[in-house]
Amino acid sequence: MLSIKNLKASIEDGTQILKGINLEVKPGEVHAIMGPNGSGKSTLSKVIAGHPAYHVDGGSVELDGKNLLEMEINERANSGLFISTQYPTEIPGVNNVEFLKMALNSKRAFLGQPEMSDEDFKKLCEEKMNLLEMDERYRERGVNDGMSGGEKKRNEILQMAILDPKVSFLDETDSGLDIDALRIVANGINHIMSPEKAVILVTHYQRLLDYIKPTYVHVLRHGKIILSGGPELALKLEDQGYDWIEEA
Amino acid sequence: MSTATSEFIQSLPTAEQAIARLRELGMPRRNNELWSFFPVAKIPTPEFMGTDFATVSAASPTDQASPTAPAHSSSDEAVQKETDFAALLPIANQARPMIREIVPGAAEMAMLKCNNDFGHTVLEIGKGAKVSLEILDNKVTHDIAAERFDINVGENADVEIFFANPACDLPLRFRHFNINQAAGANVRFSSICRDTAIGRISVECHLKGEGANFDYRSLHILDGEASQHSRLTIYHEAPRTVSTQLARNLLSGSARVSYDGSVIVGYDCTGVNSSQLVNTILMSEDASVSVKPVLKIYHDDVECTHGNTVGELDAEQMFYLVSRGIPKKTAQEMLMRSFAQETFLPLPDSPAKKRLMAELEK
Repeated sequence: MLSIKNLKASIEDGTQILKGINLEVKPGEVHAIMGPNGSGKSTLSKVIAGHPAYHVDGGSVELDGKNLLEMEINERANSGLFISTQYPTEIPGVNNVEFLKMALNSKRAFLGQPEMSDEDFKKLCEEKMNLLEMDERYRERGVNDGMSGGEKKRNEILQMAILDPKVSFLDETDSGLDIDALRIVANGINHIMSPEKAVILVTHYQRLLDYIKPTYVHVLRHGKIILSGGPELALKLEDQGYDWIEEA
Repeated sequence: MSTATSEFIQSLPTAEQAIARLRELGMPRRNNELWSFFPVAKIPTPEFMGTDFATVSAASPTDQASPTAPAHSSSDEAVQKETDFAALLPIANQARPMIREIVPGAAEMAMLKCNNDFGHTVLEIGKGAKVSLEILDNKVTHDIAAERFDINVGENADVEIFFANPACDLPLRFRHFNINQAAGANVRFSSICRDTAIGRISVECHLKGEGANFDYRSLHILDGEASQHSRLTIYHEAPRTVSTQLARNLLSGSARVSYDGSVIVGYDCTGVNSSQLVNTILMSEDASVSVKPVLKIYHDDVECTHGNTVGELDAEQMFYLVSRGIPKKTAQEMLMRSFAQETFLPLPDSPAKKRLMAELEK
C-alpha cells in the first residue's frame, strides 16, 4: 500500500535529516514510529506530504504503486494520503466547515466524482463531529484558529474522518490531549480505521498505543529506522528508553 | 434649509475663490507632502482652468492647519485652509452642491450618485440620526473626475459611509471627503477599491466633539498597472476622541498603492486613542506599496499607535490547505479572501458590512 524505499531528504542548508528510510505498510496495519527528539520523525511526515522546506535526495515513496514524490502536494492528498502535523497551522478567516467542504470536494473532483451536496455534507460533518464529541463552535471558527492544542488535534482527526484517506500519518496526535480527549481521539481513529486503510502513528508514549494497538513498532534514530518489532517493543521503550538499542 | 446648513454652504469657497486658490497652489508636485507618493505627472490640466494653468508655478509645500485654529468664519478664511487640489476641483468647476439634510433622530439608508465628472455633495446629519450611505460611481465623460463630499455629523449620530464600486478604468479619479463630527458621533468609513487606473481618496476628518469616533477601513485589490493612493488626515480636536485606521492591500502585477495617514492630536485633548495599521500582501515582484504615518501630538495623555506589514501569502497556511487536497490556486484565493474579509469582520452587522462582504464573495 505505502512503500518507502531508501528515502533520503535534507533541509535548505544541505543538512541531511532522513538518511535512508525503508518502510512497508500494508492495508489494515497500524505502524507506530517512536524515537528520540530530532531523530527525523516529523521530517518524514513532511517529506512524504511534499513540504517545500525539504529536498528529497533520493529514494521513493509509493502509494498503491504510484510515486508520491512526483505528484503535486494536493495530488498526494487526493490520492489517499493524510498527514497530520505536530503543530497544526492556524488559518484565521478561513471557516473550518467551508475549508472541510472545499477539501472534500477537491478530492471528489480529483477522483472524477460530483460535488457533495450541502445537505449530504452537513450530515457527514454532523456524524463525524458526533463521533469526536465536538460541539457546534467548531463550525463557526477559522481553521484551528484560537483552538487549544487538544482542540486542534481533534480538529485534525475530524478532517481525517471526512477525507477518508487510505493512509494517515499522524504526527504526535496524542500531544496536548488530556485523558478524556485522548480516549475520544483514539476511538475516532479506531472507528475510521478499516482493513483497507492504514495508519502510521508517531508518538513518544505508550498511552496512545493502549488505545490504538499497533501492528508494528519502529524506532527512528539519526534519520534511519534502526529497529522494528511488535507492540511489545513500545512497552520496552517506555520502560528502558532508547539507549539500550545502540548499546545492543 | 436649516440655518446650520446655510451657514456651512456660505463658508464654502465660491468657484472664483476655488479657481484663484488652485492658481495659487498650482498643479500638484511631489515636493508637496499631500502628493508625495502620487504620480503627479499623470494629472492632466483641467480644461476649465485654461491652457496656461499647467505653467503656474506651485506654491511652497503647505502645512496642515493647526489643531487649535479657530473655526471657519467666512469663505475668504475657509478658502485659505483648502490645500488639496482634488478637493478644490469640483467647486472650481462649478459643481452645483447636492445638499441633503437628515433630521435629528432619523434613520435613513441612502445611495449617492453624482451625475457628472465633478460632483459636490453636502450632507448635514442631525443629532442622534442613524444613517447608512453608499456612494455609487458617478457618470464620467472626461479624462479626470473629482468628487467632493462635505459631511457634518451631529451629536451622537451614527453614520456609515461605504463604497465597493465595480472595477473602473477611468484614467484618473479623485474623491475627497471632509468630515466634521460633533460630540459622541460615530462614523464608519469603509471601502473596497478594484479600480484598474489611477485614483486618490483623500479624507480630512475633524473630531470636534468629546467622544467622537472615526473608524476607517479600506481594502485595495489591484492588478496590472493600477495605482491607487490614500491620503488621510484625522484631527483630534476634543478629549476622548477615538480614531481607527485599517488599510489592507492585495497587490498583483505592477500595481501600486500608497497610504499617507496623519493623526493630529490637539492641545488639551486628553484620553485620545488612535491607531493606524496597514497590511499589504504583494503577489508579484513588481507590485509595491508606500506607507507614511505621521503623528503630531500636542498632549501627553493620549494613546497613538501605527504599524505596517508587507509580505506574501503565509507559506505554512498555503501548505496546510494544499496538503488537504485543495488546488494551489484555490488555496491562494481562500487565503486572499480571508485576508480581505478580515478587514471588515469587526464592523457591526449593517448594510455596509453585508454589501462589502458580499462584494468579496464575487
